Amino acid sequence: MKRPLKYLSVMKRPLLLSFIAFACLPLIQMTLISFMATLPTPATEVGTFTFSNYAGIWTDPNLRSAFINSIAYVLINIMITIPVAIPAAYAFSRLSFVGDKHLFLAFIAFRITPPVVLTLPIFQLFSSLGIVNSVFGIGLAHCLFNLPISIWILQGFISATPKEMDETAFLDGYSRPQFIWKFLMPQIASGIAVTAFFCFMFSWVEVVFARILTTTNGKPISMAINALFGFQTDIGLVMAVTVASVLPGAALLFAMRNHLSRGFKIGHV
Amino acid sequence: MKNRDNTGWIFVLPATLVLGLIGLIPLITVINYSFFEIFILDTRFWVGTDWYTEIIGSGRFWASFGRSTLFSVLILAIQIPLGIAIALCIPREKFWVGITLAFIALPLLVPWNMIPSLWLSLLNPDTGILGRLFPQFGWPADWKLSVVHTWAVIIAMDVWHWTSLVVILCYSALTTIPAAHYQAAAIDSAGPWQVFRFIQLPKLYNVLLMAILLRFMDSFMIYTEAFPINAGGPNGATMFLAVDLGEEIKAFNYGPSAARSVIYFLIVLTVAWTFSKAQGRLDRAEAA
Repeated sequence: MKRPLKYLSVMKRPLLLSFIAFACLPLIQMTLISFMATLPTPATEVGTFTFSNYAGIWTDPNLRSAFINSIAYVLINIMITIPVAIPAAYAFSRLSFVGDKHLFLAFIAFRITPPVVLTLPIFQLFSSLGIVNSVFGIGLAHCLFNLPISIWILQGFISATPKEMDETAFLDGYSRPQFIWKFLMPQIASGIAVTAFFCFMFSWVEVVFARILTTTNGKPISMAINALFGFQTDIGLVMAVTVASVLPGAALLFAMRNHLSRGFKIGHV
Repeated sequence: MKNRDNTGWIFVLPATLVLGLIGLIPLITVINYSFFEIFILDTRFWVGTDWYTEIIGSGRFWASFGRSTLFSVLILAIQIPLGIAIALCIPREKFWVGITLAFIALPLLVPWNMIPSLWLSLLNPDTGILGRLFPQFGWPADWKLSVVHTWAVIIAMDVWHWTSLVVILCYSALTTIPAAHYQAAAIDSAGPWQVFRFIQLPKLYNVLLMAILLRFMDSFMIYTEAFPINAGGPNGATMFLAVDLGEEIKAFNYGPSAARSVIYFLIVLTVAWTFSKAQGRLDRAEAA
């Protein structure tokens, strides 16, 4: 029994390293091109090293506002999703009510519904509500997939907290909402952070809703990149914008890494 | 064990309202449209189930359905075992865990519409890292003419993009295993396979179910990433279900695209129902 064990643990490191290399390879490619002049100009030749792509981001007002739009709609999405998801996650974790299983099933069904199925009616609905071409519209539309997944993650965290905590609080005369606010939220703070990170991750990169909901205004970063493709595409600039679009997420990811690594109990209803 | 009363509904009400607004109302609109011939939204004619019979009867629909099914099966067959394997390889030291997870999760942060561009530039014969390396191993310059090569690129791209999610979910479940279980296994001199089979895998069931659900559905309905690689080619060999629907919507065929959307939603419901059945079985097995 000793032999295969040794063999396995020797294999682990190379497997992991090659997977990380695979994960980074397209990102390395992207970074390389982002520092390369890809359109001939009087000053530079194609293929030479340059910072001008990054300078281009700063000087283009469309790109700057796209970054602000992206950050805005992701924050709006998180601010809708988390307060709505916490009580729901609490109910699914601790309470039993008529139709709870079916409701959870319906939520999950909306998560796995491809956005393209609902693009047209959501566009019509949002135009009648007057929230197309605004960051609020995208933030709300993204709740379609972020809300169910947040409820699922949060209820795993809530189920991992001891049930005695609820009972003590109720004996002390706290109501359920008070208990959630005063006792449960501090207890699952890292869970809320992980959930918010997942919301960020799924919302920042989404393009189907972002495309149909922003025809004239409020374009997020992914659509601003799309707009750069044309008759003569400056692929260096495109890659530089993509690198820049990955950076906020990467910074968050590194800040969050110990929360992610602490692990969380993901359960079931 | 849970208190059986209906106060729970008060707590889920906000979530139900939000999803009712952005999920249920659009869905009902789509169902309504699917029975009409619509030129402009104000003038429409009842056509009953014509669109449905047309779609179900078309060879094109079933061809796309077959391609999407094959794609999902391949994706699951690669991503789930690979995700579990990588999660098991993550080091134990706290410092390295965070770093490793952060690097692994990076592909999830790239805007989806840029992912095909990244892979195409990776395969670019002049500037791409792989594009310059691969021809030495027999990779054809005109790989876009080959069905196998195009599929290989799209699968590699999806594996790159989404395996990280499986890894993170699996790893989070693995960390909940108490150290005592491993010690007990060591005392029984259990081999690595037995540790995996009887200690680690049972902890993974719930998370794997969710990972399979998400990965199955998202790959079955792959849209943004698949099309730009080779425009659905060669000869439509990479036209998937969602791409067909996207084309229909772009052409403003309201009725047929609505009917197609409803059919896709029925697939979604079937999958979600299977998922909840599987979850019920897991719960019962756990309780027993």
